[in-house]
Amino acid sequence: MRLSYSLIVTVAILAFGALAPVIFKTQPYVLYVLTLALCYAIPVVGVNLLYGYTGLVSLGHMGFAGIGAYTTALLMKSAGMPFLPALLIGAIASGGVGLLVGIPCLRLRSHFFIVVTLAVGMILYTLFNNLDSITGGAEGLPGIPRPQRFSLGSWNMEFRSVSGFYTLTFIVTALVFGLQTLLVRSDFGRSLSSVRQDEALASARGVNVFAHKLTAFALSAAIAGVGGAMKVLFLRAAAPLSFELQESINLIVMLIVGGAGYLIGPLVGAIGFIALPEFLRAAAELRLVFFGFVLLVIARLAPRGICGTVELLFRKLSGKDASVVRHS
Amino acid sequence: MATAIFEQLINGAMMGSIYVLMALGMVLIFGVMQVLNFAHGVLFMIGGYFADLFFFHVTGSYPLSVIFSMLSLALIGIVLERAIFRALRQNLPMQIVASLGLILIIQNGVIQFWGPAALQMRTSSVSSLVKIGQLSFTVQQFVIIAVVAAAVVTLYLFLMRTRLGTAMRATSQHPEAAVVVGINPNRVYSITFAIACALAGAGGALLGPLFLIFPQMGDGPMLKALSAIIIGGMGSVPGAIIGGLGIGIIESLSTLAIPTDYRDTVVFAILILMLLLRPWGLFGVRVRGEC
Repeated sequence: MRLSYSLIVTVAILAFGALAPVIFKTQPYVLYVLTLALCYAIPVVGVNLLYGYTGLVSLGHMGFAGIGAYTTALLMKSAGMPFLPALLIGAIASGGVGLLVGIPCLRLRSHFFIVVTLAVGMILYTLFNNLDSITGGAEGLPGIPRPQRFSLGSWNMEFRSVSGFYTLTFIVTALVFGLQTLLVRSDFGRSLSSVRQDEALASARGVNVFAHKLTAFALSAAIAGVGGAMKVLFLRAAAPLSFELQESINLIVMLIVGGAGYLIGPLVGAIGFIALPEFLRAAAELRLVFFGFVLLVIARLAPRGICGTVELLFRKLSGKDASVVRHS
Repeated sequence: MATAIFEQLINGAMMGSIYVLMALGMVLIFGVMQVLNFAHGVLFMIGGYFADLFFFHVTGSYPLSVIFSMLSLALIGIVLERAIFRALRQNLPMQIVASLGLILIIQNGVIQFWGPAALQMRTSSVSSLVKIGQLSFTVQQFVIIAVVAAAVVTLYLFLMRTRLGTAMRATSQHPEAAVVVGINPNRVYSITFAIACALAGAGGALLGPLFLIFPQMGDGPMLKALSAIIIGGMGSVPGAIIGGLGIGIIESLSTLAIPTDYRDTVVFAILILMLLLRPWGLFGVRVRGEC
C-alpha cells in the first residue's frame, strides 16, 4: 500500500516539476523562486544523507557547496569548459575536500562534531572571502556563463532563459533525488541507518562504522557541491555570502522542517523555506519575524518535520497504529 | 614592537572579557540543560539596544542602563526557557531550528523597531582617554575588564556559596540525583537561563558604546564564545573564562603577524586543532564514547 502511495506522489511531483515552465509561463517570478528552491534542495539532499540517514549534524555544508560552486564557476568561466564535466569536477572537488575533512573530524560525536563542521565552514568562508586572486574576494566572481544549448538531432534545449535554466535545474535535482533513493534503498543505505540507530550494535553486526560515516560525509559534500554549482550558475555570480554560516544553518533547518530521514523531506523543506517567506510578502518587512515564529512552532510541535506530521496524520486517519516510534 | 604587543594585549583582554561573558552564559546553559543556544548572539545584541534605549530615553545614567538591560534580558531569558528550550533539552537538532527561529524574530524585529542603521551611544567613559606611555585607551576598555572581573567573582560566589548555586551545580552534575534530594529542576533551568541571558545583555551593553550597536553585533561574539567553551571544555566554568580570555588575546596578537582578514581563521584553526587533539577541552572531563 505505502509503496503505491509514494509512487503516486513521486509521479505527481515529477509531472508538476516537468510541466512547471508551461504552467507558470506568464509568471517568471514563480519559476525564479522554484529554481532557487531546487538549488537549495540539492545540498539539503546531501544533508539528509548525513543527518536523516546517518545521524550526523553538519553546520558547514555550504562551505563544501562553495568548493563545488567556485570550481565549476572557474572551470566554465576561465577554462571555457562545458557544463557537465565542470559540474562533475566541481562535485569531485567538494567531495574530496569532504573526505579530507571527514578523516580527522568524524572521530567526534554529537555537539563536538557540530562545532568542528561549523569551524570548517567558517574557515572555508574566510578563504572564499579573502583569496582575491582566485575567488575574487568579497566582490565574488561575476559573469559566469550559462550552459551552452544542447541539441539532439532536431531537438534543441537552451538554458539561458528562466524557464530553460529551470528545466536544467529540475533535471539535475531529479537525478540527485534518484541517487538519494538508490543509496538509501541499497545495502549501504541500510547500514547507514543502522549506524544512526545504534553505532555500537551496528559495529558489532559487522558494519565498518567509520568507513560508512566517511563515505556518507564525502557523498553528501559532493552533492552539496552540485547544489552550490547550480546556485552559482543560476545567479550567474559566485559570492562568498552565498556560502556563509547562516546558509549552512538554513540547510539543516530546511531538512528538519521538511522531515529528516524522508526521501522527499529535502524538497518539502527547501520549497517551504524559500517559498513561504515569498508568500508572506503581504506582511512585508515582518515576514521573516512570522517565519521565525513558524520555525519555533515546528520545533515545539512537529519534532519529525512536515513529512513526519503528515505521515502521523495519515496513519491516524487510516486507523493504523500510530504509536510506532521511529528515531527522534 | 613592545608597545604594539602591549596595546594588543589590552585590546585582547577587553574583547576576551566580552567573550567570557558570552561563554559563561552558554556554558551554564549547556552544563545545566544540555542546550546549545545558538541564539545567544542576538540576546547580546538586544542587550546593546536596551542599554541604548534606557540610556537615552529613561535613565540617562550609563551604569543604571546596563543594570536595567541585564534585568530585561533576565526576564526574556525566563520566558524563552519556559516557552521553548525546556521542551527541547536532549534534542540538539531542534535546538538549532528553534535558535534560528529566535534569531530571525529578534534580528528582524530589531530592524523593524530601530531601523537597520547602526546606533551610536557615546557615553562619557568612551570620550575620556587614559594615556599609558605613548598609547591611549578609552576608559570604557578598562570599565569592561573591571565589570567582567566583578561579574566572574560574583558568579563564582553565587555558584559556590549559595543554596541556589549549589542546586545549579547539583543539577548539572546529576539531574536525577538532584531531584532526589529535593531540587526542583524547572526552577534551576529558569534561573540558569535568566543568569545566562543577563550576562549576554551585560556584554552587549558594555561593548555597545565602544563600537556601534547594530543587528549583527552579536554574531561574532557568539561564535567566539562557542569556540571558547569547546576549547575550555564543555560544561566547565573555569574553562569558559580561560577560553574566552585566551581567544580574545590570541586573536588580537595574531593581527601583529598576519593580515586582519584571517583573524577569525586563527581562532577556528585553534578550535579544530583542540577538537582533534583534546576534544574534551582544557578543563573538561572526558566522557567515554563521546570523543
